[in-house]
Amino acid sequence: MTEDVRGLLADAFSLYRDSPRAAGLLREALEHLEQPLRVGITGAAGTGKSTLAAALGDWPTRALRDLALIDDPPPGTLTDATVRLFRHLEPDELAAALPTARSAFARQTAVDTVLVLARADETGAGRIDALLTAKQLARRAWREDPLCSGSQGVIAVAGQLAYGARAFDDEEFELLAAFAAVPREELERYLISVDSFTDPAFPGPVSVDTRRSLVSRFGLFGVRLALTLIRTGSDSQLKLSAELVRRSGLGELRDTIAGCFAARADALKARTAVVRLETVLQAEPRPHSDRLAARVERFAATAHDFRELRLIADIRGGRTALSGDPAEEAVQLLGAQGTAPEERLGLAPDADPREVYAAGIDAVRRWRHEAERPDRPPAERAAAHVVVRSAEGLLALFA
Amino acid sequence: MTAPPWLEVLDETLDACRTHGREDLALRLRRRRDRPSGGTRVAVLGFPKQGKGYLVNAVLNAPICAVGDAPTPAVPVEIGYAAEPAATLVGRADERIPVAVERMTGEIGARPTGSLRRVEVGVPRELLSAGLVLIDTPAIGDPRSARTAAALDVLADADAVILVSDATTPLSPAELALARHVRTWCPHVILALTKIDVCPSWRAVAEEDRTTLSDAGIDARVLPVSATVRQAAAKTGDQELNARSGFPELLSWIAEQVARPAERSSALLAAVGVRAAAAELVETLRTRAEVVVKDAGVDQTTLLHRAQRKADDLRKRNTRWQNLLSDEIADLLSDAEFDLRERTRHIVEVIDETFDRGDPLKVWDEFGPWLNDTLVKAVETNYSWAAERAEWIAQAVAVSFGEQYDQPDLQFLDADAELVGEVRQPRIEAFKIGQKMFTGLRGSYGGVLMFGLITQLSLGMTMFNPISGAAGVAFAAKTISDESTMRRQRRQAVAKMTAQRHVDDVFLRFSKDCRDAIRGVQRKLRDHFTALADELSEQLAREREMIIAGSAERERRTARLRGEIERLASLHQRAGELGLLAGRAPRELPA
Repeated sequence: MTEDVRGLLADAFSLYRDSPRAAGLLREALEHLEQPLRVGITGAAGTGKSTLAAALGDWPTRALRDLALIDDPPPGTLTDATVRLFRHLEPDELAAALPTARSAFARQTAVDTVLVLARADETGAGRIDALLTAKQLARRAWREDPLCSGSQGVIAVAGQLAYGARAFDDEEFELLAAFAAVPREELERYLISVDSFTDPAFPGPVSVDTRRSLVSRFGLFGVRLALTLIRTGSDSQLKLSAELVRRSGLGELRDTIAGCFAARADALKARTAVVRLETVLQAEPRPHSDRLAARVERFAATAHDFRELRLIADIRGGRTALSGDPAEEAVQLLGAQGTAPEERLGLAPDADPREVYAAGIDAVRRWRHEAERPDRPPAERAAAHVVVRSAEGLLALFA
Repeated sequence: MTAPPWLEVLDETLDACRTHGREDLALRLRRRRDRPSGGTRVAVLGFPKQGKGYLVNAVLNAPICAVGDAPTPAVPVEIGYAAEPAATLVGRADERIPVAVERMTGEIGARPTGSLRRVEVGVPRELLSAGLVLIDTPAIGDPRSARTAAALDVLADADAVILVSDATTPLSPAELALARHVRTWCPHVILALTKIDVCPSWRAVAEEDRTTLSDAGIDARVLPVSATVRQAAAKTGDQELNARSGFPELLSWIAEQVARPAERSSALLAAVGVRAAAAELVETLRTRAEVVVKDAGVDQTTLLHRAQRKADDLRKRNTRWQNLLSDEIADLLSDAEFDLRERTRHIVEVIDETFDRGDPLKVWDEFGPWLNDTLVKAVETNYSWAAERAEWIAQAVAVSFGEQYDQPDLQFLDADAELVGEVRQPRIEAFKIGQKMFTGLRGSYGGVLMFGLITQLSLGMTMFNPISGAAGVAFAAKTISDESTMRRQRRQAVAKMTAQRHVDDVFLRFSKDCRDAIRGVQRKLRDHFTALADELSEQLAREREMIIAGSAERERRTARLRGEIERLASLHQRAGELGLLAGRAPRELPA
C-alpha cells in the first residue's frame, strides 16, 4: 500500500514541479511516509490536552513507542490520527469541534478520530461512581449520537487522575495509605471539599502544603477513589497505580490508540498522504490531474484497512446486528487485537503455521456462509463480506 | 393613583420599538410594563453543565430540578410557594396540566418539544413564602436555538438574575457576553461560582472572574458556592460546613432582592428596560444609517454611467432582435412556399401517371377521395412545419432580446381542411351501345362498298356478297375500336386537367393562407418585443431620474434616522434619571 502511494505521490510531484507551493506540500507528505505515525491531541481550551498527552507519553509498551504524540497541533501540521477532547458530550460542543469540509476520500475513509470525554471525574458532581457514569455516557453517545458515530471510539478519561496515577511514587502511596488507615467516619468530613481537605484541623501530622499538592495532583475525586481502593485491597503502590490507570479510562484509550492507530500506522500514513494529494489536486487542477484523481479513487476503493477499521468501530459501537461471540470473533478477525494472522485468529503467537492455516480456512468458510445467507439483511451480509476478505487476506500470506 | 413617571418614558420607547420593526423589544417592554406588582422573580441562568440544577436544589434544600445526566427541560421552571408540593405544565395556549412533582421530568419529556411554555412548581418552603419565585432556565447554548431563546426570554420579567459558572475554568468569552446582556436588561445580577468543592484553585478563578467582570463594566458580585458541601451540611446539620458552602451569603442576597420595596423595583426595572431597549434600537438604526451612507458612497456620476451603459445595451439588443426577426420571417416565407410547391408537384406527378394508364371512367371513384386526402395531408404537414418554425423564431428572438423575458403566445392557426374542397368530377362520356352501332355501321359502309365494287367488277358478283359482307364486319370492328381509344384519351386528358387545376387552386389558396399566418406571427412578435423594449427604456429613464433625485432623498433619510437616534438617546437619558431616583447610577450610552 505504501508503495502504491509513493508512486502516486511521485507522479503528482512531477506534474506539479513548477508550483513551489504544491511541490512543497507533496514533498512533505512523501517524507512523512518514512516518519513515525503522528497522533494529534486537540480540544478546546481547558479540556486537559497537555495533561492527557503527558499521561499517554513515555509508555513502556511496544505498541505506543513508534508513535509521536503532538499536543494541540497547529493548523497545517500533518497528523495521521486525532484524539479529540471534549469536556461534555453536548451537541453544540461536538458540532463545533468536528471538521466539516473534507474531501470525498477523507470522508470515505474517516477512521482517524477517537473522541475523549475528558475530565470524566467531574461527571455527576464528582460522586464516587463518576467514572462509571462517564463511561456509560460515552458509550451511549458512541452508539446513539450521529455526531460521534463516525469516530473509532468515544472514551471517558479522567486525565488528571490518570496522569497522577502514572507518575506516582512510594512516598505518595505511603501518605495515601496513612489517610486510608484513619477510620472512614472520622475522615469523611474532610473529604467533602478541597477546602476541608486542606483544613489545618485535618487529623494527622501531614502538613497543609503536602495535602494541597496531593489534591492538586490527583483531584479530590482521585484522592477519594485512591482511599477507597486502598481500603478495598489495592495495598501496594503498583497495584494502586494499575487500578487507577484502569479506572481512569487511560488504559482503554491506550488500547484503542494501539489497536486502531499504531497497528495501522502504514495505512493511516498512506491515507494522510492521499488526503494531502487530493487537496493539492483540488486547489490547483492541471490538464492531467483528473487521471491522478481517478487513481486516488481507485486507491480508496481497494484499501481494505479502512473498511476493517470502519467495521470494527461499527461493531463495537453496536451499530451492526452482530453481538456476543460472533461480534467478538469478527472484531478479532478484522484485526482489532493486532494484524498478524495469529492475532487475528486468536492463536498463540508461536502457533504451528499448519494450525494457523487450518483455522484460517475454517474462518473463511464460516464467514462466507454468513455472507451468503439469503435470510440476512444486505447490510449484515456486506459486513460479513468484509470479514471474509480479511480472513482471505491472512490466508494469502501462506500462498 | 397617578401613573408613575416611568410609564410615559416606557410607552414612548415601546412605540419607537414598534415603529422600527423590533417587535421582540416591544414585547419585552410590554411585559415589564404589565408585570404584576408584588413578588420577586429571581432567574438562574448559565451555560450547560455548570450546575444550575444543583444550585437551585441546594438553595431550596429539595430535589426539585433535574441534575447531572438527567435530561433538563427545554422550558423555564418557575418555583414558587405552595402549601402542598404541586407542579403544573403550562402549554403554549396557556392550558394548565397539573402533574405530580416526582413525575414532572418524565411528563415534560413525554410532550413534543415546543408544546410547553413553562412549568410551575409549588413547594412548601419558608424562603419562598414572601413571594419569591426562583426560575430555573434551560441551558444557554447555540444562539439560534429555541432553548436559548426560552432562557433569555425569562429576562423580560426577572427582578434579579443568578448567573452560574463553575470554578473549573474562568469565565469564557461567551459567558462574559451573556453576563453583559443580562446586566443590560436586569438591574441586579450576581455570579455564582459553583463546584468550589472540587477545584483547588477556585480562589484564583474567583479573583480572575471578578477582574473580568469589572473590566467589562459589569457590576456583579462573585459568590463562590458548593452545592455538595451544602448538601453534606444539611445531612449532618453542621452549621460551620454550611457557612463554608457559600450558600448563606447567596440566600441573604436573595433575601435582599425580596426585601426591596415593590414600587422602587418596578421603576428601576422599567428604567433599565427602557435603557436596554433604547440601546439595542439605536444599534439597529445605526446599522440602517450605515447602509444608507454606504449607498451614498457610490457617487452619482458612477450611477449615471451605469444607467447609460444599460441604455446602450438595450439599444444594441433592439437592433439585434429586429434584424433577426425580419431575416427569419423572410426565410420562413420562401421556405414554406417551396415546401408546399414541392408537395403539390409530387401529387401532380401521381395524377399524370394515373391517367396515363387508367381510364377515368373506371378509376375516378377511387381517385377523387385519394386526391382529397393527399391534399389535406400535404397542407396540414406544411402548416404544422411552418408553425414549428415560427415557434423557434419566437424563441430565438426572445433569446437575442434577453433570456429572462417571456415570449408571446403565437396561436399559429391550423390548416382549415374544409378549404381544400371536393375535386369536381369532370364530364366523362361513356361509349354507349347506340353510338357503337352507329359507328360500326358507318365503318362497315366503306368496306361493303369497296369490296362489293371490286367483286362486282372482277368476279361479276352482286354488290352484297359474302366477301363484301365480311369486309364490312371487319371494317366496322376496326372503326369501333379506333373510336373508343380516341374517346378514352379525351377522357384522360379532361380528367388530368381537372385534377391539376384543382391542385393548383389548392396550392394558391393555401400558400396565401400560410403567408398570412406567418406575417401574423411576425407582427405579433414585433409588437410584443417592441412593447417590452419600450417598457425597459422607460424603466431606465425612471432610474436615471431617481439617481438624479436620489441624493436628496438619501440625505433626507439619513437625517430622519439621526433624529430618531437622538430621540432615543434622550429617552435613554431620561430613563437614566429615573433609575437614579430608584437608586442606581446610570451608565452612559456608548457614543
